[in-house]
Amino acid sequence: MGTILSTQAVSKRFGDVIALDDVSLEIREGEFFTIVGPSGSGKSTLLRILAGLETPAAGRVHLRNADITDVPANRRPTCMVFQNLALFSHRSVGENIEFSQKMKGVPPHERREHALDMMRIVRLPESYYGRRVTHCSGGEQQRVALARALASDPEILFFDEPLSSIDYRLRKILEVEMKDLHRRTGKTFVYITHSLEEAMVMSDRIAIMKSGRIVQSGTPTDIYYRPTNRFVAEFMGEVNVFELAGGQIAELGIAVPAGAAGCLAVRPEFLRKLGDGERADVRFPATVANDYMLGSRTHYHLDTGKRILVAEVAAGKAAEITVGAKAEWGFDLSDAALLDE
Amino acid sequence: MNGRAKPLFDSLQAAWLLLVLVLLYIPMISVALASLSNTRYMLFPHRTWTTDAYADALAGYTTGALHLTSLRIALLVVVISVVLASFGALAFARFDWRGRRAFQRFLVLPLFFPQPVLGLALLVYFTALGITPSWQTAAFAHLVWIVPVVTLVISIRLYNYDVLQEDAAFDLGATRLQVLREVTLPALAPGIVSGALFAFLLSWSNLPLSVFTSGADTTLPEWLYSRTATNYSPMVPAIAVIATAVSAMVVIAAALGLSLARGRDGAGTTS
Repeated sequence: MGTILSTQAVSKRFGDVIALDDVSLEIREGEFFTIVGPSGSGKSTLLRILAGLETPAAGRVHLRNADITDVPANRRPTCMVFQNLALFSHRSVGENIEFSQKMKGVPPHERREHALDMMRIVRLPESYYGRRVTHCSGGEQQRVALARALASDPEILFFDEPLSSIDYRLRKILEVEMKDLHRRTGKTFVYITHSLEEAMVMSDRIAIMKSGRIVQSGTPTDIYYRPTNRFVAEFMGEVNVFELAGGQIAELGIAVPAGAAGCLAVRPEFLRKLGDGERADVRFPATVANDYMLGSRTHYHLDTGKRILVAEVAAGKAAEITVGAKAEWGFDLSDAALLDE
Repeated sequence: MNGRAKPLFDSLQAAWLLLVLVLLYIPMISVALASLSNTRYMLFPHRTWTTDAYADALAGYTTGALHLTSLRIALLVVVISVVLASFGALAFARFDWRGRRAFQRFLVLPLFFPQPVLGLALLVYFTALGITPSWQTAAFAHLVWIVPVVTLVISIRLYNYDVLQEDAAFDLGATRLQVLREVTLPALAPGIVSGALFAFLLSWSNLPLSVFTSGADTTLPEWLYSRTATNYSPMVPAIAVIATAVSAMVVIAAALGLSLARGRDGAGTTS
């Protein structure tokens, strides 16, 4: 799996706002790569630069070994699915899907065959061919946008938060379909979202952006369990962060060999109630302040007297924990991640 | 029974519609009737019915000159206002620039000026600049008032236009020219057609601005007004009818052209 698309120290500013600050990344052939970040983190600008709809102020963009920084979008073998889909509203489903081929001068009957193939891939019924896109439902429009992008036979498909305005249930279905589509087409997908969940479900690798910079990239597992800084740890879901000072967890007064400064991040599922004589690297007494049933698991808020921690327990083990009970809790350092800030 | 009541109802409905139309159009019809007389006084029914006024109007030099002046002004106004308004409307739809809202307000400000005041202001302005008023200055005056209107008309038709469609088309491999032809112009077209019609009709029928700014050239409304006030003859309504017919022909031609263009576009895109 070689690198298909990469950026080297790309920067971009809009007036006084720095949208991208020295961004370098490598996207591998055939992977599902997701860029996650809060709004305003520069991820949309980065995607537009990758697609050729925007040019960087500094830095280069390479497609395999070719410098494509100054190649405009219409001459790049890539295609984008926009956040609002940007379907051609005065055209039919078929005309939307055939657009790229029509621009190339492909004869009508060939275009039609190709469009129907694309509709099969995204599971749109053939009867939708002549329908106006404005008469399609939200989910159907998503499929039209996907088919339109696929019809140009791009090497890389970009997605700019296409599921953000869709209701939860349909989004879940489309997430699965998207991952499935990635597998079936074997194309490189570059996806941006502000939703951690979406990123975790679909991606092979994730890059996390904050204020125009990539703060960490890696597999979903890496990023979830081995965050390198507090922003990533907190962005990727519930986490307990302990500040370190002088080789100790400051608030608990427990020495840790991990490091002298920084923070220690522990996911809720690694906090456990300790039985008699059960050992843990870090242990502390806490009262169960409240419980939150989440279906297959339960979240408990633990009051240590100084602050509230979050622990997650699988449904089967929840019976032994009662709200208001004081007990010894703890975690192992091998399950904790050391953060640099 | 139903079968018998239905045609009756239909014909009543048709009669009612006809009545409304007749009431709306009676003033115009009376102008047409006035043109068929040979007296300077409006008496009805006429003692003699004649088309002499039309013969005079068509034979005289005035009719053609008046139409030529008004037509020149109107066409110039249509072309310039549609070009300026299209760019203006696109700028609003595409970009969020500094001063956008302020510009939007200043743009429509001329509409709130009473037209005679605007005409007087422009005449003072032309005189100060040493420009002799003529049909060109009248066209300029019309533009001051009509460009805002046309910009509004085109903007309204562009209101739901998603400019990302242009990015999408470009990303799908279209050239800049293809984006213009396939996405931008189809979105602009209805606005351009209605804007052009508005521009033509507003200029064609404008009196207050022309009175102040046309100098030695006389437009149709100016002539109709002055000859109605003094020196009236049946030639006045005759020329009014001819002028109405000319503008109606322009509107019909535009509508035909539009439906032809639509038909061709439809045939082209469904294939």
